[in-house]
Amino acid sequence: MVAVTTNVGRNGKEPGAANVLKLGRAFRYGVLGLVGIFFIIPILASARFSFLGNNNTITISAYTELFSTPQFWSTLFLSVKIGLGTVLLTLALLIPTVVWIHLRVPKLKRVFESISLLPLVIPSVVVTLGVITSFKSLPNIIMGTPVILALEYVILALPYSYRTFDSAVQAIDLKTLVDAGQSLGAGWSKLLRLVLLPNLRSGLLGAAILAFAFCLGEFAVASLLSFTTFPVFLVQVGQVAASQAVALSLIARLFTWMPLAVIIISFGQRNASSKKKTVSLAKTIEQEETTGIA
Amino acid sequence: MASSTNVEESAQSRAGGVSSPGPTELRPKRSRRRWHNGIGTVPFLVYLGLFLVIPAISVVVTAFQSGAGHFTLSNFNEAVHGVYLKSFINSIQLSFAAAIVATVLGVLASLAVCASSNRIVRALVSSGSAVFANTGGVPLAFSFIATVGNFGVITKLLTDAGFNPYDHGFSLYSVFGLTIVYQYFLIPLMVLIMIPPIEALRKEWVDASSSLGATRAQFWRWVGIPLLAPPILAAFIVLFTDAFAAYATAEALTSGTISLVPIQLGALISGNVLAGQTNLGDALGAGMIAIVLVAGFLYAYVQRKASKWLR
Repeated sequence: MVAVTTNVGRNGKEPGAANVLKLGRAFRYGVLGLVGIFFIIPILASARFSFLGNNNTITISAYTELFSTPQFWSTLFLSVKIGLGTVLLTLALLIPTVVWIHLRVPKLKRVFESISLLPLVIPSVVVTLGVITSFKSLPNIIMGTPVILALEYVILALPYSYRTFDSAVQAIDLKTLVDAGQSLGAGWSKLLRLVLLPNLRSGLLGAAILAFAFCLGEFAVASLLSFTTFPVFLVQVGQVAASQAVALSLIARLFTWMPLAVIIISFGQRNASSKKKTVSLAKTIEQEETTGIA
Repeated sequence: MASSTNVEESAQSRAGGVSSPGPTELRPKRSRRRWHNGIGTVPFLVYLGLFLVIPAISVVVTAFQSGAGHFTLSNFNEAVHGVYLKSFINSIQLSFAAAIVATVLGVLASLAVCASSNRIVRALVSSGSAVFANTGGVPLAFSFIATVGNFGVITKLLTDAGFNPYDHGFSLYSVFGLTIVYQYFLIPLMVLIMIPPIEALRKEWVDASSSLGATRAQFWRWVGIPLLAPPILAAFIVLFTDAFAAYATAEALTSGTISLVPIQLGALISGNVLAGQTNLGDALGAGMIAIVLVAGFLYAYVQRKASKWLR
């Protein structure tokens, strides 16, 4: 009886979910095609709209005017600065915390993963209101400058950055690496520099890029706290010049798509070769350690 | 003495690779080190407390205070009347409708992707979803204005063809319009969430049901749908909260002309406050937190059911 069952299984035409889910070519391509069209049309239409001049002529004036607006560069620069600050703070907070949890209190892994999702529960508009009511008395150097944005963006980007870094730490054999490093006489700073950071490179990059992309696109907190960041500038442009605003949105899209594409691609590669990498890196550390001693 | 044997034992079990040391052996040592072990997480928790928990709590507390700081329920009374009540109704309707549409389309798309054996299609859809799920906000609003806004490219095409959608009751700057726009980040989110559970429909179950002579309809009726219902419901809740909290897209698209809770709250924050409404914003904020929390509890409940089978 058992043999018969396995036989039936093996004779199934395709393995895995594809078998039951045989849905018919027309249905599959129909659904994906329609959804695909829905996603492509606004992008094409935006491109067309942004190049549209008077009387249906084609012009790049929307772009040239934008680039010659000083505010374009100043707000972009501000957003980049906030983004870099957020990334540094995020990494400073995440690296020790996640490494510590995985080494010392692995039981709490799931708990902290849930905690990191907490910012999703509280809408950013509400967080902003809370920041205004509870930090009124904070010195002006924090509340009156974009520093407060960076401080809050660390929190709001946490659901994305934490998970990315956490799964990167999960993917390596942290305990063995640390034990090996310590048994070879490495202190914590050496361990961090030579063992942990190189092994966690792609996870760090992923967390950093997600946090940075978040900062470049965030509108609610910045506008409600009256800071003219890049997205806030975008809305201001939209109130006076539609074609420039559309051109600007396309540029803004590129800003977020490129980094995201980078992590998606690099993560695909990491998953394929993470095991190999860990082993080879452990070897190089061993070599470096021995040469260091010698 | 006892502690030293414990250390030895745990060292032995580590060295020998014994994976399950008796729980009684380790207990005394663990309880002594417990607080010590937590220290490394303190900075993170303090940061979170300072910049997330305190602001959230202050909103809830202030919601129960009058301008002079006395306890009152009048803020909530105000928040459930007139334009603010309307904003809650609008927001819930919008999020519900948008989440339903995205759930249906997202599940269909995920099924289509999972059924496809074409690797390129699968890679394209899953990475595309990851990118698009993160592309909400202001740029999204403007790309739809360029498409089906008053002077959008598609609007123009349709008008030239003799059908101006704005003459037939359509408006992008309405709850209906927002429902469409929100699909742009909700559908990819749904696909992202649903691909893993659909792929987890295990081959064994498929084989088992087909060897028992089940038809495809029977498989879906008795195995597939019962298994996928909890994750679909959980995903729906995620989409609902995502749509409910969204501010940037709605604000950029309608310039605040449409009454939604985040928009009303935003207007109160940016200083359009009437006399006697000092802490009204906090009541709206507390209301939002309450709704999202209810959704969160439902999610946790459903998720527990879902994770029973689909691991």
